[in-house]
Amino acid sequence: MQKKPDWGASYGELVWREFFKSKLNAICLIFIVFLFVVAVLAPFLANDKPFVIRIDGRLHFPIFTNLSASDYSVFLAAIVGLTQLLLIRRNRRKIEPSIRSDVLWRQITISISVILIGTISAFIFVPRRLDATDYKAMIASGKASGGIFAPVPYGYGRTDLKSREQPPGREHWLGTDDVGSDVLCRLIHGSRISLSVGFVAVGISSVIGIIIGAILGYFGGGVDFAGMRIVEIMMAVPTFFLIITIVAFFPRSLLNIMVIIGITSWTEDARFIRAEFFRLRRQDFVRAAVSLGLPLRSILFRHMLPNGIAPVLVNATFGIAGAIFIESALSFLGFGVAPPTPSWGQMLSLGVSTTGRFLWWLTLFPGLAIFFTVLTYNLVGEGLRDAIDPRLRKAE
Amino acid sequence: MSENDILLSIENLGVDFFTEDGIAKAVQDVSLKIRKGKTFALVGESGCGKSVTALSIMRLIPEPPGEIVSGRIIFEGRDLLSLSEKQMRRIRGDKIAMIFQEPMTSLNPVYTVGEQIVEAIELHQKKSAEQAWADAVEMLRRVGIADPQQRVVEYPHQMSGGMRQRVMVAMAISCRPALLIADEPTTALDVTIQAQILDLLDQLQKQIGMSILLITHDLGIVAERADKVAVMYASRIAEIADSESLFTEPLHPYTQGLLKSLPRLGFSDKRLPTILGTVPDPLHFPTGCKFHPRCPIGCNDKRCQTVEPELREVRPGRHVACWYAPGYERPGDR
Repeated sequence: MQKKPDWGASYGELVWREFFKSKLNAICLIFIVFLFVVAVLAPFLANDKPFVIRIDGRLHFPIFTNLSASDYSVFLAAIVGLTQLLLIRRNRRKIEPSIRSDVLWRQITISISVILIGTISAFIFVPRRLDATDYKAMIASGKASGGIFAPVPYGYGRTDLKSREQPPGREHWLGTDDVGSDVLCRLIHGSRISLSVGFVAVGISSVIGIIIGAILGYFGGGVDFAGMRIVEIMMAVPTFFLIITIVAFFPRSLLNIMVIIGITSWTEDARFIRAEFFRLRRQDFVRAAVSLGLPLRSILFRHMLPNGIAPVLVNATFGIAGAIFIESALSFLGFGVAPPTPSWGQMLSLGVSTTGRFLWWLTLFPGLAIFFTVLTYNLVGEGLRDAIDPRLRKAE
Repeated sequence: MSENDILLSIENLGVDFFTEDGIAKAVQDVSLKIRKGKTFALVGESGCGKSVTALSIMRLIPEPPGEIVSGRIIFEGRDLLSLSEKQMRRIRGDKIAMIFQEPMTSLNPVYTVGEQIVEAIELHQKKSAEQAWADAVEMLRRVGIADPQQRVVEYPHQMSGGMRQRVMVAMAISCRPALLIADEPTTALDVTIQAQILDLLDQLQKQIGMSILLITHDLGIVAERADKVAVMYASRIAEIADSESLFTEPLHPYTQGLLKSLPRLGFSDKRLPTILGTVPDPLHFPTGCKFHPRCPIGCNDKRCQTVEPELREVRPGRHVACWYAPGYERPGDR
């Protein structure tokens, strides 16, 4: 048996190690993971339906029968994502490094198709249910018994006019809003909106930016000149007002907002990638790759992109924070998602009620949620930048 | 010298760079022939056009600003300059491979050396991943890297400059090219490593039977390694000769000046002679023979100042471009 060769640390692993040298980075990442867990498990954390209830001697599982198609697709995506992480860990030990990247790409392709097919079929096959049964009332009247509720036993869409605008208390930990919905429940469900806006919008803008920047940077010359003028025109328009204008013409849906933020904020990424490709194009290893006769696709995306992705990666984390912020601002101004879908920005805007009273708990808690989320993303972005280029930090 | 003994022949190659300040003629009227299994050295100062000549063979001149304006490059019966980009890609790496000057930056930092070698093998030889991987280990062993099983999975940053250059050599020969272009392969390395790399190239040349186009400014390397030498000056070839006869009897005044400026054993007490003046700017070349302002013979000669001498064969295998070289003048020149 031959001694197993010891694989050197890859660039990614080095950055990863450097990133975790700072405690603050680790804490921020844990906070983001926590946000994700909350977002994925939202229906189990805050729901007005019980997990189990006994009605007329028979057991019912209202939470599970009332999950919507989007809940199912979120669970599916989370499970596939987790499996992916576990598989990557397992690959590190079991799969020969020589074919590891092929295996990884195959797994990613399979995962993406599973998620896509799963989401589409969930939306086709899961029926829309509107179960307005008030299980709490049933328990109170003695019709049902043994109900086990979620930690926050309120639904985000449920109105309760008897308990409007209540300050934080034992019943509603973070108070209620103008229609009597529980604030904590809406915060938990709102995390889904914020995170998905952040990731989808940045995903769209990064892909557009990378492709355009790569083409401009690699070919240069006239292509670059024309392309950069378009980029400059895009940059000259104030993004936020552009978004408000566009949003005004389209129905207020989450998807529209994500797409609009995505297609208006790719200019930064394009400029970063273009500059990186200009630099890389002259690098010896790129010339060496060309001299080996490798096809253009391999040179652009296998040899140049991984070496130039760092600024885009860092920018993406800032971009997520920015997108969350834009979505909050849009919702605050009333251009965001339509109620009752909860959004942090929309909750903020309810802070001054129609009666003119200032409801501090409606401003403080969503405000803190936005603040900490944006802050951690920015800190992670900064930590990532330092980890990728440790010289930057030493120069400080 | 029979015709099918020749692997690559460059005929009247001209390369221009269109810059903002004007047209820089980087290569003018360069013709040379590389024989199978031999080492051809291209010698000259920085900026004389030797690297541009090599890049033209690979069709790697950055366009724009560069452009190949004239000439033919015949390789295995085909004119490389007339091939499509796709056909050219099949030749690069497979038939003609190249080693660059700077080993520290010639390897991609994000992949292991094995992955980089394997990519070329898989592309050109249509081998399975396992086979290509075994080949990569074998190649590293052949270029004299100790413990290739381990080294093949390491990243470039874990290796020294000499070792990286060995990896570059391994990558270049992995598809057994007919021609290896080595663009100053040892300039960035220290002297002991230089000798090792050059020995390695010699040895591989014997094993694989490839030709080497060695680009260098180091005449010491040329004397030891090359079979044939072309001396370039200001984008033209000044002289082509067997390396032995070049050193015993240089014909062009520029070559003579270069050889005089080499340090020699036993003559270390005096200052070394130099060639007066500087290399001309490619945007403003002198008229006539480009070397005449610095030439000890031709600086006051009317003809040297006005008429550029072409490259002529003055005796079998000996080409020179100087009005004063013996046997150069022909009837009807004046």
